[in-house]
Amino acid sequence: MIVSNKLMTSVGSAALMAALSVSSGVAMAQDGPLRGNVRIVIGSTSTGGDTYQNSSIVADHLAEHLDINMKVDAVGASSAFRTLDRDSRGNTLMIFHDQSYLGYLYGVQGYDNIFEKYTVGPTVAINPGNAYLVPKDSSYENLEQIMAAVGDGETVRVAIQPGGVSEIGFSALKNAISIEYPGMEDNLVAVNTGSQSDKNQQLFDDQVDMIHGSVQANEQYTRLPEDDQKAMRFVWLTARQSTIEQAPEEGMGKTSREQLLEYVEPNVHVTMGDDENFTFDKEFFFLYNKDMDPAIVEQIDEALADIYAEGEIQEIQKNAFFIPNFKPSDEAAAYLTEKMARYEEIISNIK
Amino acid sequence: MEFLSLLDITFFLLAGLGALVGIIFGAIPGMTATMAVAVCLPLTYALGLNHGLALLLGLYVGGISGGMVPAVLLNIPGTPSSITTTFDGYPMAQKGEGEKALRVSVIASVVGGLISAAVLFFFAPVLADFSIKFSYVEKFLIIFLALTVIASLSSNMLVGIFSGVIGIWLSLVGVYSTSDGGNGKTRLMFDAMEPYLYEGFSLLPVLIGIFGISTILLEAEKGVKRDIAGERVKLGKGNSGFSLSIFKGRMTNLVRSSFIGTFVGMLPGVGGSAASVLAYTQEKNLSKDSSQMGKGAPQGLIASESANNALTGGALIPLLSLGIPGDSTTAVLIGAFTLQGIQVGPLFIPENVNTWYVMMTALIFANIVMFFLMFYAIKHIAKVVMVPKHLLFPIIVMMCVVGAYAINYGIMFDVWTLLIFGVLGYVIQKVGLEVAPLIIGFILGSQAEIYFVKSLESFGTFSIFFTKSPIAMVLWALIVASVVFSIVVGMKTRAKQKMELSQVAGSTQVKPGKDRDQNSR
Amino acid sequence: MESGLSSLLSVSIDFETSHLFFPRIIHWILAGLFALILVTKVAPFMAAVKRGERKLPIVGEARDSFRFFGTLVLIVAYFYLMAVVGNMFPYTGYGFLFVSMGFVLLMAFLYMHEWTKKAVITAVITAIVAPSLAWFVLAKLFKITLP
Repeated sequence: MIVSNKLMTSVGSAALMAALSVSSGVAMAQDGPLRGNVRIVIGSTSTGGDTYQNSSIVADHLAEHLDINMKVDAVGASSAFRTLDRDSRGNTLMIFHDQSYLGYLYGVQGYDNIFEKYTVGPTVAINPGNAYLVPKDSSYENLEQIMAAVGDGETVRVAIQPGGVSEIGFSALKNAISIEYPGMEDNLVAVNTGSQSDKNQQLFDDQVDMIHGSVQANEQYTRLPEDDQKAMRFVWLTARQSTIEQAPEEGMGKTSREQLLEYVEPNVHVTMGDDENFTFDKEFFFLYNKDMDPAIVEQIDEALADIYAEGEIQEIQKNAFFIPNFKPSDEAAAYLTEKMARYEEIISNIK
Repeated sequence: MEFLSLLDITFFLLAGLGALVGIIFGAIPGMTATMAVAVCLPLTYALGLNHGLALLLGLYVGGISGGMVPAVLLNIPGTPSSITTTFDGYPMAQKGEGEKALRVSVIASVVGGLISAAVLFFFAPVLADFSIKFSYVEKFLIIFLALTVIASLSSNMLVGIFSGVIGIWLSLVGVYSTSDGGNGKTRLMFDAMEPYLYEGFSLLPVLIGIFGISTILLEAEKGVKRDIAGERVKLGKGNSGFSLSIFKGRMTNLVRSSFIGTFVGMLPGVGGSAASVLAYTQEKNLSKDSSQMGKGAPQGLIASESANNALTGGALIPLLSLGIPGDSTTAVLIGAFTLQGIQVGPLFIPENVNTWYVMMTALIFANIVMFFLMFYAIKHIAKVVMVPKHLLFPIIVMMCVVGAYAINYGIMFDVWTLLIFGVLGYVIQKVGLEVAPLIIGFILGSQAEIYFVKSLESFGTFSIFFTKSPIAMVLWALIVASVVFSIVVGMKTRAKQKMELSQVAGSTQVKPGKDRDQNSR
Repeated sequence: MESGLSSLLSVSIDFETSHLFFPRIIHWILAGLFALILVTKVAPFMAAVKRGERKLPIVGEARDSFRFFGTLVLIVAYFYLMAVVGNMFPYTGYGFLFVSMGFVLLMAFLYMHEWTKKAVITAVITAIVAPSLAWFVLAKLFKITLP
């Protein structure tokens, strides 16, 4: 065993030397508090989804601008929050969207109040595609007819994924019905479903009358002939009108921006009371560890401001059907706090 | 034939390179096709759509088939879908037939891959319309059918089923995820465990822990005596005992398994590993002589490998004709399309005819490259078993760690899962429970839950499982047949064993080789 | 009869507790099977143990304790230290790289039966080359996050 001990020490010292020589070669931002290797964890486990795509666009630009290494890892919400909890050095950052506080509002296990537990960073983009669809041969022409039918006592079933972005539009609709047709809102029934494919399947099986979907995933279905079992039709995009107006003119697939605008407010009217219309934009933003050096927050804000001033990132985002939406940390935090408060009201109204 | 102008040397080189890298990823225990595609996804930015697709499809095909290598040689499924390859491959490797086993697997793989590519090419839109006839109820029945393999796989049916149910139980630990339509609440654990177990145990760490780490523990217990893993491997004599005649009389199996693989791949939400399990079950039930299956029969390899490679074409069907990924790898492939600003959906093929042809070319070419790479590299790959165990084992542990850590993009608990299930696997085998049924229960358990509960939520009665549709009734017929078959076969083998036992009564000592054989199952 | 059967088969699942529905079924099946096994397998086996015909698994078996427990200790130390060292060099993969080197070397020594100079040298070389290669290809080339 003496041999091995000797070897161990020599191997150990060789390794240490190697470490020192390698680490000196690692790209570092010489002039900022953010340095070395930075990992961006996201709240989704999919590397094919919008969160990943959007995060990698931002990460690539940030890494280049700051001259550091950045890597996006799709670890999922629960793991992402936990990883962020443990690292206050600034080597771990998180990018997620409205799900981060909607999960908390809906009381989903594993979600905390992000405004208390973390530092909310800058917003970077909007995915304007949040949509609701009906079968193409549905007897409901538009959302207004659906609300009227529910108000009239008809049961309308909606496939959603519970506890977040997919449910908020449903909640708002229910809230609107309770305002316009008091007492009838329970005729709007949520059918809790998982993935987009499951929701589509529920519609094909006539198990639901309306599904939650997205412009990106469902646009082609809206162009199928009416006699196709799979054909669908948009009835509602939850985005603000001003958001869709920023989309590329050609829209998505063969559905132009003009056509998309038919499905947003004020053409579609989902009231929140007080003459206010409900809208929901799925916005992507940074989340930081609460104890992270404020200088890093500032550094990222400045870097992003520079990047957005250059204008290249906007083109890339628009190509991928994202709406560029940069707000520095302070502004973003105030804006999102207010946004959460509004949705909190809706959710508590219909409880 | 406009698309021909899109093909150039680089295109084919990338498809070939993809197949090669994919095979390497698949061959490393713990690294999967999904991971290979995911890590190379950013490269497709720079490559452009057609070249990017060539690379990714190469990786996909290579990654799925590379999984057979550790399955056969080390008894560790390189990817979840090669689980059934271990059942017959490893016993063959122990008998010194590792090279033969790999050759059989490679041929089965390429046939499966090509059949599914042909099905994809000719029938994609029709099959997509057929696949949406499968709702929660039918999907549950498919999973249930795959679960019936537990009965026929186990050496003692009662113990086997018990092990399978334990596997299902383990798969339920953690959150009933909202992304599956659940209510997002955790179960089967204490609150204190939530930070680690929120998402439950991940499949891959469980798989390589229970196969890889527990094998090492069992060896360590015996003192790691024989220093070469496959003691009787005959190598380098050009005589691997392989000839094409193995496939004689196995064509039905080959074709049937390829179609099963394609079909399961086609159903969104029914995981890829169900394909090889289902093909293996059917071969066990339908073949004339299945008594050797699980002890080193090439027919098991044929069923498993042709089915898991047929997944590739199958899983692309819903992706390209519904915009819905058929398995986890194609879910990542969607990213490649969105990165290039291409929509996938029911109109993908008519609107992107050239891309469609390009993809088919890449898929077929990748299968062929995979075949030649593997078929001629096997002799060298099989030498892995010649590495002394005291060097091989630490490297296996190391690679398992990398795979476990990387599968969910960097989660330390997945590494600890390796150890937990390594020890569990050791204990299970010691107390006489059976590993294969347990792991199949684990793989299929969570899907079974979702489809079962969602069926009942939608229809509110148990009778729906019988009356939903003609497809459901056909599936019930298959399930009943499968169960009856395994009971009959089980009774036959028991009678046979009793006869043999009475013949060799007196010499109760078990040969060490046979002993290990039992441990490994 | 008809209506009796259909009411027997009908079921309504409360969404709030639906996460427990399937596990509950599995628990009952597990309990039933366990009872069966207890009666048909375990009881005769324990009787055989009492008579001294058979040995208890794990506790009653002979084993190479040094190598068995050595393996467990090494793996636990490996997993633990990897995270600790990795945390010192965030997201560089050094934790994996250096701790793997030590682990591969020690495990190779643990399993080595003939301590020849050649064997020791191969082990050392393997311990340095294998983790470095894995680290370089995966962490550097493919940019996979390692501890």
